[in-house]
Amino acid sequence: MADEQYRRDYAQHLIEQVNKGHMTRRQMLVRASVFGFSATAAGSLLAACGGGETSSSASPSASGGPAPVMGGTLIGVIPPSLTQMDPVTIYDQGGIVLVQQVCEYLIALDNENGLKPSLAESWEGNEDGSVWTFTLRQGVTFNDGSPFEAEDVVTSMDRVLDPKSGSGALSALGGLLSPGGTVATDTYTVTFNLDKPFADFPYLVCQSSYNTCILSRNLKGAFIDSPVGTGPFMVEEYVDKQKCVMVKNPKYWGKDAAGNQLPYLDGVTWTMIQDESAANLQLQSGTIDFQPQTVFQGSQALFSDPNLRVDVYPSTGIREVAFNLQQEPWKSAPKELRQAVAYCLDREALNMALFDGRSTVGVDTFWDPAVFPGSPTPAPRAQDYTKAKELLATAGYPDGLEIELTYSKYLENPQFAQLIQEQCKPAGITVKLNFVPYDAFYAGEDNVTPWLNAPMVIVEWGSRPTPGVFAQAMLLPTSTWSSSHWDNKDFASTFDEYMATTDEAKRTELGTTLSQIQQDDTPIMVAYYISQLRTQKKDIYGIQGPGSFYCIMSEAFKAA
Amino acid sequence: MLRLIGRRLLLMIPTLILVSILVFALAEVLPGDVGRTILGPYATQEQVEILNQQMGVDRPLYERYLSWAGGFVTGDWGESLLLKTAVFPTVMRALGNSLILAGFALVIIVPTSILIGVFAGLRRDSALDRTITVSTLSMTVIPEFVSGVILLYIFAVWLKWLPVTAMPPAGSNFFDRFYYLILPAIPLMFLELGYIARMARVGTVQVLAMPYIRTAVLKGLPRRRVIFGHVLRNAMVPTVTVIGSQVGWLIGGLVVIETLFVYPGIGKVMVDAAQYHDVVMLEASVLVVAVIYMIANLIADIVVALLNPRIRMGG
Repeated sequence: MADEQYRRDYAQHLIEQVNKGHMTRRQMLVRASVFGFSATAAGSLLAACGGGETSSSASPSASGGPAPVMGGTLIGVIPPSLTQMDPVTIYDQGGIVLVQQVCEYLIALDNENGLKPSLAESWEGNEDGSVWTFTLRQGVTFNDGSPFEAEDVVTSMDRVLDPKSGSGALSALGGLLSPGGTVATDTYTVTFNLDKPFADFPYLVCQSSYNTCILSRNLKGAFIDSPVGTGPFMVEEYVDKQKCVMVKNPKYWGKDAAGNQLPYLDGVTWTMIQDESAANLQLQSGTIDFQPQTVFQGSQALFSDPNLRVDVYPSTGIREVAFNLQQEPWKSAPKELRQAVAYCLDREALNMALFDGRSTVGVDTFWDPAVFPGSPTPAPRAQDYTKAKELLATAGYPDGLEIELTYSKYLENPQFAQLIQEQCKPAGITVKLNFVPYDAFYAGEDNVTPWLNAPMVIVEWGSRPTPGVFAQAMLLPTSTWSSSHWDNKDFASTFDEYMATTDEAKRTELGTTLSQIQQDDTPIMVAYYISQLRTQKKDIYGIQGPGSFYCIMSEAFKAA
Repeated sequence: MLRLIGRRLLLMIPTLILVSILVFALAEVLPGDVGRTILGPYATQEQVEILNQQMGVDRPLYERYLSWAGGFVTGDWGESLLLKTAVFPTVMRALGNSLILAGFALVIIVPTSILIGVFAGLRRDSALDRTITVSTLSMTVIPEFVSGVILLYIFAVWLKWLPVTAMPPAGSNFFDRFYYLILPAIPLMFLELGYIARMARVGTVQVLAMPYIRTAVLKGLPRRRVIFGHVLRNAMVPTVTVIGSQVGWLIGGLVVIETLFVYPGIGKVMVDAAQYHDVVMLEASVLVVAVIYMIANLIADIVVALLNPRIRMGG
């Protein structure tokens, strides 16, 4: 367990890294937050670094907005959840947005993917990141009046770690934290004893790991029958696939910067609408006040609506184009074949065609400073047909190649697939498109499901807070969701070292190595990072949430 | 006639059994499984298998069918696999909504279509006849999604005369409910108008050519009496048959309208259940719509028989 001396040393190390120019002030704040430095302590670190750039943590809506107004209700629109509202198993937007109004996490995310205290006031890791100690907020009660204590954290974590619970959290925590690894040291202290070091562990107990919300230790039966949580709102009425009426939680612990009791609103009503066109028409008609996630495709009319404001947030959501190394032609071909395809893509043109230029161009590595502050700068990968043809010849395909690309009908995937097809053609690569219905794409056991077994696939991934979380999920031999089945021993061993390192200079060095290996070997293509759109009426402010559909309403209000 | 009605009602039983077997079998060939749908793509295969086992969906098809059928016929419609809520109230609530929308649409569509069709038939080959035929046909070929979006944009978003959704707020009175249904009923009218009006027109034209109409005119009956006493009654036979066949669609087939106007009807329940492998919900909703469909056709046959006693039902 880290002691005070270690924290002081680490703080000094961060300051030195900034002063030497090895780290930006923004990067320093992110790393400080991961290691549990409070906002005050982080501010002191920032001051110790001297003058310069300032943090830009204010949300687009919060900056320059009017004074908060208490009371009132808002109507939001979300897609209906396919399943019952169960925090342990939710995975779709509708379910997650609702649960996150009622339940909270040990740590919250700010609008730039940084960590901020929530039910945990502070946290710290030991030197190799294998033991993490969280100090819990005191005086918090669940909306049924029962006190929030360490035992609630233990039961919540053990619940999602039980395979019988069906929680998706197990896929991220499996191999890192075992049942029994979460220990209540005292009433307000919890220790996580990890199975192996993991420097980004706090991200796995924050809201982006949405199944790890803290539920009451007394929870029995279906959550929706007794929706008890510590969050700012409570469920008053829930009608499957139609609506959820929420009212403010009078016992909520949160206060704003001025000391006002949160939430500002008296309530939020969520209307569930599956069809994007229908939702957009309701926004335009004024029936609906806001939409946490607006899909770019088909929503262009919202941008020019004089009554609406569409905020654009940076996000780390991607479309992974994976080369399955267990299938031909990739199985027998060297990496040059994959690189040839990667050099066919004009990423700027894709961004313009698919998102009107509103997204961020990707270059086939997760360690990309454009989206993850602190990442090394990767080599550019612009469209280059001459190079692509040379690589094809080196790979043994001088006369061109025919490949099959499998994808599902999900947002821009069909257009993306067609653009890949067109952009590959001049290099002599014929892409045969294999469209599969969304359900069929993810159907079947792991050894038959198309998304993990087709030769080349487009897979949609939501935001992840760090490059390591992405890599852990899809690029290691042990990854549950590896569509590429990449097995690169250098990458895997460097990654283990990276996740067990808390020294920032060393992490940057290892991140550079990982970035180079990933980009050079090209098991997958990352052509763009998708920006997140959130639509609201022009007089609505304060909706918070990082670059995904997370939607924190505690400081939302309608201007007078 | 009562004996014939009884026979038709009895015939519904084997039909419904066949439908239920077909639905169960067809749901089986859909890709994916309910465990994966509930837990999502991020759950491990082991977790999915544990859940499928807990729900019993890994048992053989015939076992699951017999277990479900046994419950269904004894009044236990089961629980939705996805939502974990009782199927019966969900299906009945959605059916009630669909019946209201279909009933409202029929009240508008049937008299309007018959009036226009008969009017065109009485003025066969005139400019008015051609205008009615071409315009109603044009409206019929516009998909309801297209006409629905255009109508919503004009009347709900731009002019703000009508609500953008078909479902009124809680606590609305009976008349408010119909105000909310005006907009969704119009695309349905577009679709049905051409079809039913053409049948009414053809029926009218055919009846007008009959010798008994000529006799009625020659013997000096007033034109109004000829039309209402002889033409309409006989011209309605094919029209009523068509209306009967459309009732089932108006109740169970309005998925597009329900989706666009955010209306919780039985069509959307069926599509969602089929798409996400909720076979218990799918069976109940399909069978309910099948019963409605068969009853609507039976009523249409009875009405036809009453309109024209020469027609023998079931014969």
